[in-house]
Amino acid sequence: MVEIVGSTMHPEKQKHSFEPKIIAFVCTWCTYAGADLAGTSRMQYPANVRVLKFPCTGRIDPVFILKAFQQGADGVLVSGCHPGDCHYIAGNFHARRRFAVFRKLLEFVGVDLDRLQFSWVSAAEGGKWVEMVSDLTERVRAMGPMTEFKELALEEQWSGAIDTPELKEAYNSI
Amino acid sequence: MSNQPIDTSIYSAISTAIQTEAKRILAEEQVSAVIGYTTARRQGSAQPIVITAANDAAKLIFSPACVNNLAVYLTKAKKEIPKQGRIGIVVKGCDLKALVGLMGESQLRREDLYLIGVPCAGVLGSTVQPATALTSDSIAPKCSECDARLPQGCDFVPSQTPATPELEHKYAAEIARLEALTPHERWAYWKEQFSKCIKCYACRQVCPFCFCEQCLCDRNKPQMVETTPRPAGNTAWHIVRAMHLAGRCAGCAECERVCPMDIPLNLLNRKMAKELKELYAYEAGFEVQDKGPLTSYEEKDDQSFIK
Ligand code: SF4
Ligand code: SF4
Ligand code: FES
Repeated sequence: MVEIVGSTMHPEKQKHSFEPKIIAFVCTWCTYAGADLAGTSRMQYPANVRVLKFPCTGRIDPVFILKAFQQGADGVLVSGCHPGDCHYIAGNFHARRRFAVFRKLLEFVGVDLDRLQFSWVSAAEGGKWVEMVSDLTERVRAMGPMTEFKELALEEQWSGAIDTPELKEAYNSI
Repeated sequence: MSNQPIDTSIYSAISTAIQTEAKRILAEEQVSAVIGYTTARRQGSAQPIVITAANDAAKLIFSPACVNNLAVYLTKAKKEIPKQGRIGIVVKGCDLKALVGLMGESQLRREDLYLIGVPCAGVLGSTVQPATALTSDSIAPKCSECDARLPQGCDFVPSQTPATPELEHKYAAEIARLEALTPHERWAYWKEQFSKCIKCYACRQVCPFCFCEQCLCDRNKPQMVETTPRPAGNTAWHIVRAMHLAGRCAGCAECERVCPMDIPLNLLNRKMAKELKELYAYEAGFEVQDKGPLTSYEEKDDQSFIK
């Protein structure tokens, strides 16, 4: 549990052995404004989140999520306007399908979906933003670092695995 | 299951019917060319051919070695095939699904095509030994789960009916096996598979739906997918490939057939097709639809995964 000591303006930070990196892809009109509200209302939430602002969730390509994991993210949050509130009318409806499908793909490839969170956070929901970020950060912290993509990046060539019986036989017959 | 023979005796009559029809449409100038299959040099083998003269129609055949999905020759990716006037094309059910998808994506127009459908009992999984008899072991796994043996909506279909017995669904079984594993085990499985990839892009070249003139995976400003054949870039390539084909893939399994590294590529595509069916009751390739499942939406779509 996080124990809060000191003044409420500057609560002492709990020291953890692992600080997860969380990347948040947010739409500028709702979630970004919601996060801004959380800030101007001086609400506290984990500083683990790095916010990337997009015009709309419809602009958030699944490949960005992939790239975030590859570049060292331990968790990813994608958030935008509630259905019906998208400033481009249907961007979030399209995004909803795309992410529903992309999650299934990541799951099939072996990514633990607990590292990936989608949410609708409006400009008035500063509190919900704090909750989303805090929940994801703590969940990912408990899971430990995301090692899968990082390990891949460190691996060099495929040549180690290229020792199938057929290839060996072909090699020996040369 | 023991190795059962599969009856392909109808293929000779089908070949004759294709020849007669191709000859007629070329002679009557209904089409400017016919894309089909012909015999290749090795005994039993077949290769694609484009014929433009009625007299060449006798070269056309259909056999268990006619594996290629000829739809790829009609895409933008194959600039060397002239597309003047109406073109005749020989299609199996799976190839037709690709054409249907391409029509939906405004890549082709129905009126520019003359479709010669093949009642198909199945083709070989591998043409390394092209003279192999078609059996429940040698048949392509896609043919064991085929739901389009008799192509629908063609201009001409020979009258024979294939009599392929019910076969083991290898893809479905493999997908179910993988789904039952833990995420960790699945990652280990795919890591090994993807690490074999040499980024030759044969899978992309052969796919009728990979018609983009510039693939995201070739771009370097910004570089979204690492291009070198290292495990990280390979994994990204396979995930992006599966995602870009979701809701579009015709299940022709050409990608898997041409992969020199024997990566079970089509498993990913079929898994996506399965998910799209479950989520949005969408199946690719049966009717021309101008919006795919990922280019449309409904307000009531599932959002149980969104907080
Ligand atoms: S055909 Fe196989 S080896 Fe070549 S790029 Fe595709 S998956 Fe990789
Ligand atoms: S992804 Fe493979 S199975 Fe699907 S349409 Fe392309 S080549 Fe055919
Ligand atoms: S503008 Fe916020 S989701 Fe489209």
